[in-house]
Amino acid sequence: MRRTQVSDLVNKVAELLNAPVDLVQRSAEARAQASGNSVEEVLSSWAGGESVAASAASAPKEEATVEEAPKEEAPAAEVVEEVIEEVVEEVVEETETQEVIEEVVEEVVELKNESALSFISGVLLVGLFTFLFAFVIPKNQATDIVSDSLNNSVSASNEVIKGAEVYAELNCQSCHTQNVRTLIPDTQNGKVLKNKFANETLINNVGNIRLGPDLSTSATREPTNNSQWLTRYLSDSTSVNRDIPHPSYDFLDDDDLEYLVTYLLSLGESNE
Amino acid sequence: MKIKLFPKNEQELSKLFVLIFPLTLLLSLTISFLKNAYFTFANLLPNNSVFNYGFLDRLDTQAALGLVFGASLCLSFSYLFSKSLGRSMVLFPIVFLTLLGVVGTEFLDILVNFFFQNTAYDLGNSSLLILLKILVVFGLFGLATLNLLAKKEASIFASAQFIYGAVVFYLISLFIVRAELNVFSDIFLVNSLYTGTHIYVGVAFIYMAIVHFLMTRPLQAVLFNKTLSSITFWGFLFLLPWTNFKYYYGSVLPNWIENISIYLSMSLVVPLLAFLVNYIKTIQSKEVDAEGSLNLLNFSVILFSITTIFHMISSFENLLPILGITNFVNVITYGLIGSLVLATISLSYYLIPKLYGREVNYSRLEDITFFGFKISYLLLLINNTVLGVNSGYSWNAGANAGSPTIYGEGYGIVWSLISFNFSVNTFISLLLLGSGFLYLISVLRAISSGSITTVEEMVYSND
Repeated sequence: MRRTQVSDLVNKVAELLNAPVDLVQRSAEARAQASGNSVEEVLSSWAGGESVAASAASAPKEEATVEEAPKEEAPAAEVVEEVIEEVVEEVVEETETQEVIEEVVEEVVELKNESALSFISGVLLVGLFTFLFAFVIPKNQATDIVSDSLNNSVSASNEVIKGAEVYAELNCQSCHTQNVRTLIPDTQNGKVLKNKFANETLINNVGNIRLGPDLSTSATREPTNNSQWLTRYLSDSTSVNRDIPHPSYDFLDDDDLEYLVTYLLSLGESNE
Repeated sequence: MKIKLFPKNEQELSKLFVLIFPLTLLLSLTISFLKNAYFTFANLLPNNSVFNYGFLDRLDTQAALGLVFGASLCLSFSYLFSKSLGRSMVLFPIVFLTLLGVVGTEFLDILVNFFFQNTAYDLGNSSLLILLKILVVFGLFGLATLNLLAKKEASIFASAQFIYGAVVFYLISLFIVRAELNVFSDIFLVNSLYTGTHIYVGVAFIYMAIVHFLMTRPLQAVLFNKTLSSITFWGFLFLLPWTNFKYYYGSVLPNWIENISIYLSMSLVVPLLAFLVNYIKTIQSKEVDAEGSLNLLNFSVILFSITTIFHMISSFENLLPILGITNFVNVITYGLIGSLVLATISLSYYLIPKLYGREVNYSRLEDITFFGFKISYLLLLINNTVLGVNSGYSWNAGANAGSPTIYGEGYGIVWSLISFNFSVNTFISLLLLGSGFLYLISVLRAISSGSITTVEEMVYSND
């Protein structure tokens, strides 16, 4: 049973390493002898994607059973001579075996030694490729196109920029977009977002997820074009509509609230 | 239970992270519950700077995608990396400090956001903290490279490969966040590639590293085919960073990058199939039955597969206008994070006897915990898919129903259709929070009062 398991493991490891079965068997035996583990443990480790050394001390070692064989008595001198001959033979055999094992191990290592350097280079190359083609090139391309267009920037006053910073700190962009796409479902939502140079905070506020209504034209619609209504709504949203949950920002100081309202009133202004 | 403040080897370091992971998970799930509860109990909550959706949403992102990801990365790095390479870590004290730095900076991010809300925007991505993160992760990248070069085994085993890939792309994502924003399309490029590198590659690869270990060693199974695991690795590494651009279909991004994103997303079928075939065939060769937490592993593979299939399905051009920039985009993130959490829980239970020398007694507590996690993540995936599709469709109906001169008139229709899903999200996050709490109790119980067993000694020879 145990032999069958070992043989299965040898076959699987050979398949995994793409190496001859015989070679794997002998290498495992050599490694087992060197590490003090059983052949089965060595093979399991190879097959399981774990280093042999790591599992060396974890497995309890089975004690070898000692079988006592009946011995025939012989004259002392003959026995000594026989023992000496056996020891000499064993030493010679051991040396030969060790040489063979060492050769086999070297052969396997040479055969399957994956270069860490080439793996690292591969990963870094993919990283570099991604950074270059998915980021640097399209970024430069978009910037060049905008540079070449006639009306290519969004102008904003200091108050608007400050308001945009308050908007970003409150993370309003986690629910509201300012990104109307060139798609049929979006066209009713307002002005399509055009690619332009702008302040970093303004760019950051366009948002990723549209949970609440898009704000790109909110200042051209009612009642969000009214500063008093906006101030009341932002201070206590429940006073306007209790059904739709919207955070109340009555903890903002007066200046920040004013900046925020100024910013919201700038959305949708024609900047063409 | 002995945890050393200054661990001397990988084993002691792993012990620390086995304990840190449930704590970070509990913190993340608490924040997530508060965030989701906002929509259900908005009128009951006090109006202050903490209890508002924008703040809680940012905190939730930092906790789940920063802290939990960081803790999971550190746990897998400290235990699996050296085990896969067959040697003790080169410059171990620096590895220890760097891994602590990864979790520390992610935690600091949350603290800064919590206590300095008004200046969080300046302190966050644009200045000191992100530089500190880059420094720490660059250190981790250097150490990982050094250890790979000094490997003892002839082969580089799959777990080490995936961990290395995750570290490299985590570093790239931090550089991308620092990019200058000049024109409007820049924000979409930054967001997409950040999501693609940090969340899609980073989270998925840590998950893969854990799965490739757990599906072989604990089950005494043999990896079916190394070529398939290589296809999984290189396939996902090449494809995943490109797959988020498609959700900005029709925006100001260059058209070619949106189209490439669509085609490459569909190509995810290749590494997914390679992974599934390898997993199923490997599991079939197991010598011992999966028990206890290892059952979570199978479920995590199902969750990961569903997520990747959603990723592919959402690439169809007629679906993108509906699904893009809706809650559906979050489904992919939830699915990947869910898979990672389930796999890390499984790993932590496997490690408790090995590292602490305490048996885990799988009782009703553990059964309830595992069931809670499984059902919650599955429901989260389904509910947010429905939410995304519903809001996509109702946005059209709502926007068209409203008057173009009146702001948000049609939004009432949208909200009436999706508010139920937000209530379900609150319930699911409560379930997750409960499961996270039970998980922490279960881990503490096993570590403190589990029956004593043999501790695994990780003995390496660095000669």
